[in-house]
Formats: sequence, C-alpha cells, structure tokens
Amino acid sequence: MSYPVLQFRPEQSLSLIKEVMDRSGQNLLACYQCRRCAAGCPVGEETGVTPDRLIRMIMFGEREGALNNLLVWKCVACYTCGTRCPNNIQTAKITETLKQMAKRDHVEPLLPKVAAFHDAFLRSTSHFGRVNELEFMGLYAISNAKSELKHGGGWKALADEMKNKAKLGISMIKKKRMHLRLEKTKKLYEIKRLYRKAKDAAGS
Amino acid sequence: MKLSDSTERPRMQPGVETMHIAYYPGCSLHASSELYDRQCKMVLKHLGIELKEIEDWNCCGATSASKTDDFLAVALPARNLGIADASGLSEMLIPCSSCYNRMMESQKILSEDSGLKEKINAELFKKVEGKIRIVSILDVLVSKAHSGEIAEKSVKRLEGLKPACYYGCLLTRFSCDIHISDDIENPQGMETVCRALEAAPIDWSYKTDCCGASAAINDTDTSLFLMSKIINDAFARGADCFVTTCPMCQMNMDMYQNQVSERYGIRGRLPVFFITELLGIAMGMSPRQLQINRHFVDAIEILKG
Repeated sequence: MSYPVLQFRPEQSLSLIKEVMDRSGQNLLACYQCRRCAAGCPVGEETGVTPDRLIRMIMFGEREGALNNLLVWKCVACYTCGTRCPNNIQTAKITETLKQMAKRDHVEPLLPKVAAFHDAFLRSTSHFGRVNELEFMGLYAISNAKSELKHGGGWKALADEMKNKAKLGISMIKKKRMHLRLEKTKKLYEIKRLYRKAKDAAGS
Repeated sequence: MKLSDSTERPRMQPGVETMHIAYYPGCSLHASSELYDRQCKMVLKHLGIELKEIEDWNCCGATSASKTDDFLAVALPARNLGIADASGLSEMLIPCSSCYNRMMESQKILSEDSGLKEKINAELFKKVEGKIRIVSILDVLVSKAHSGEIAEKSVKRLEGLKPACYYGCLLTRFSCDIHISDDIENPQGMETVCRALEAAPIDWSYKTDCCGASAAINDTDTSLFLMSKIINDAFARGADCFVTTCPMCQMNMDMYQNQVSERYGIRGRLPVFFITELLGIAMGMSPRQLQINRHFVDAIEILKG
C-alpha cells in the first residue's frame, strides 16, 4: 500500500490538532510513531490508513484527509490500538471525534451505510427509549435507500441490499430470534430531555 | 462429547440465603437474544442469585452513541446508573458486553467530571451517585467457579468438549482507563468456568479479536473477513465449538457463519454457545428449556453424548 506524501501545513495543523485533542481527550502529541496500533488494527489491511497514519495526518494539518478516510468509517471500535499504545492514545476516540466533525462540516461520509446505521440507532432510541430491532432496521433501510439513490449504486444496489436484509430477517423469524413486542421506557420524556441537552451541547 | 452423569448428586443446601443483585438486560436481551436473558436468570438462580431487573431502564446508546454524540454516550447510560444507585442493591450484573462497556465508561467519566455529572443529573429523577458496582457475567461466574459452587451444582460433566472461549472486544477493552481483574488480551475467566464444568477449553489466538459487531450490517464484507480469521483459528486449534458471553458476538458468529464459511471455503461449522448454555446443560437443564434450538448453527447435536 502506498501513501500520498503528506505536506506540513502549519497554519491549518494547529487548529486541527487542538480541536481533535479537545474533543477526543487524546494527547496526539505523545505519538512517536511506533506503529504498535497499526500492527493490531483488524481493519488496517483494508483501510490503508492505520491509526498512526491518521494521527500523522492530523499533525500535518491534512484536514480533508483526516475527516474522510476509510479508517474513520471502517473503525470497528475494538479499542485494540489504544490498549496497545505505549502512550495511552485511544485512536478509536479520535475516529469517533472525526466522524462527528465530518457530520458537523457536512462532509459526505465515505461509507454512507455506516453513518446511516448509527444515526438510525440513536433515532430509534429517542423514539422509545429502547432499541426495537424491527423499527431500527426499518429506519436504517429508509435512510440507506435515500443515500443509495442519491449517490450510490442506484436501484440495483438497493435491491441487492434489500434482498440480503430480507434473507436475514426470514432466517431470524425461522429461528424465533425476531422480536415483535414493543419495548419502551415509561419515562420517555426524561430521555427526550437528554436528547435536547445533547443538541444544545453540540450547538454550543 | 460425553455427558456423563456425575456419581455425586448435588447436595441441597437449605438455609443458604439467596443473594439479590441488580440486573440490566439491555435491548438485545429483550429482543433477538431473549434466550440469553432467560438463561442468565435460570442459571444464576440455580447458583443462589436472584436478579432484580432495574425499573424502567433505557438503551445504553451502544457504540452508536459514542460514534455520533459525546453527550448522549455518557448521558444515556447515566440514567440507568441513577436508577441502579437508587435500587438499594450494591451490585449490578450486565451480561451484554456492549452495555457493560458503555455503563462502566459512563460511570468512570462521571466520577472524574463533576461538571458533566451535574449537568446530566439536572435532567434525571434518579441522580447518579456512582456507588453501584457493575459486574460482568464472568465476574459472577468466576467467583462461583473458585468457590466450588459450580462444580457442586453440576450433575453432568462436559467431558471432551473443546470450546474456543471467545471474549470479543468490549468485555476487556475500554476507551478510557478502567481496571479489570482479568488479563486484557489473554483473559482466562471463561476458561476457568469451562474447566469447572470439566470441559477442555483450547488455547488460541483470536479470543479477544473483533467480529465486526454492527459492521455485519453496515459493512458486511469487513465483518465477514474478520469472522473468517476467528473461525479459521478455532478450527486450526481443534475447537469443537465457541463459547461467548456477548450477544453481539453470539449473533454474528452464529447467524453469519454459513455466509462466512461459504465465502472463505471453511467446511465445518462450529456451534456458538452462550456460557450460560454450557452451565445450564451441566446443571441438568434441557436444551429446550434453555432454548438452544434458537441457534442458527445446530448446537444440540454436540450435546447428545
């Protein structure tokens, strides 16, 4: 795997480093590029960008690259990199931060399905306080369909995706793993209040 | 595998007090992994522990909250922590690894950030105090294995069973400094429990590797690839089944195993047990009682001697 040469952009790097450090709580300056994180990253082979490279990008002020690369979207949050880091940098927290920054800056996610999944999950939680798998998968399918038609593979990709999910659904029904009773938190307004506060916190 | 009847029948212990601990099932255990909820209650009851489900709990936010909203990632678990603190019980069991991880982190973050705690508590009826001790299913079971209670309550020995103990990510690894009693990358808790049942857990390299969790749905190829490595290693080491404590790991490795195996040319299949299923069988419960028939890869055949 070859990488583009990074250019040091001091005027951009300072603000980017500060923002990522503040939001993620991780001390990027401690990274001395030992690459233990890269060795342990389960998706590193596929993403090309490994945790050490991601930190380097931020240090160099490569804002665009840092906000939108495969590692940010493929990171499975297994926390292996952070567990093995001799300087206690948890890169999974950095990929989480970058996902949030990308959303705020309206950067189109490289893997729209991942973004749609997590948004749908939180929306589902806001509706009933608990995740109801059927409702959640419905929300996910709808936002997925929208983005697929907007810039993805069109009808064909959408039909394939629906077929796959339907197959899974049917096998779940067969094994009685599909749950139909509605799960709900009674004091739902308490949850709604937390969501409102989250919105305020994100806005400030 | 042979299931031999133990020569010594379990001794009844009248007068032994039932211990009550708080219980947070989480969404999975009230939906697709309902069987795990049922098994936890049955098996722990047999070990003298009564689970008291905390009232009106809500979703912990799972990985999705941490990936999309820093505030909700702490606040959603916090509401449950407040309810648990008010329950009057000292310990809370969380069998799901994801819920366990999120609640542990939330509790830790709130213990260090009084400003955030105040901000969240202002919205809650039951305020977070931080006193409830969160325990995983292994915390509970390992102490019962050491005390000899598991062996004592077992009427069948799982002799010859060679499980690959699969921990996954979130039971031992956290995104902030949290100390756990087991080793992070080579934990032994599940092996300890399996040995108490006279099974012979294998030594292998992928016990704390990631199955992809939600990636199975939103980035399927990645997840199938990760699972193929785990399944291949288990076969290479001579395992005849997986055993896990995490409903996401169980669901992924069980439901997607055919798909993974077809894509990566793996011929055999390995049943994926919840730890509670092996315990239940050893304690004399039937596969039907434990609902082991709700697995995707057949898991009943291997239990017939």
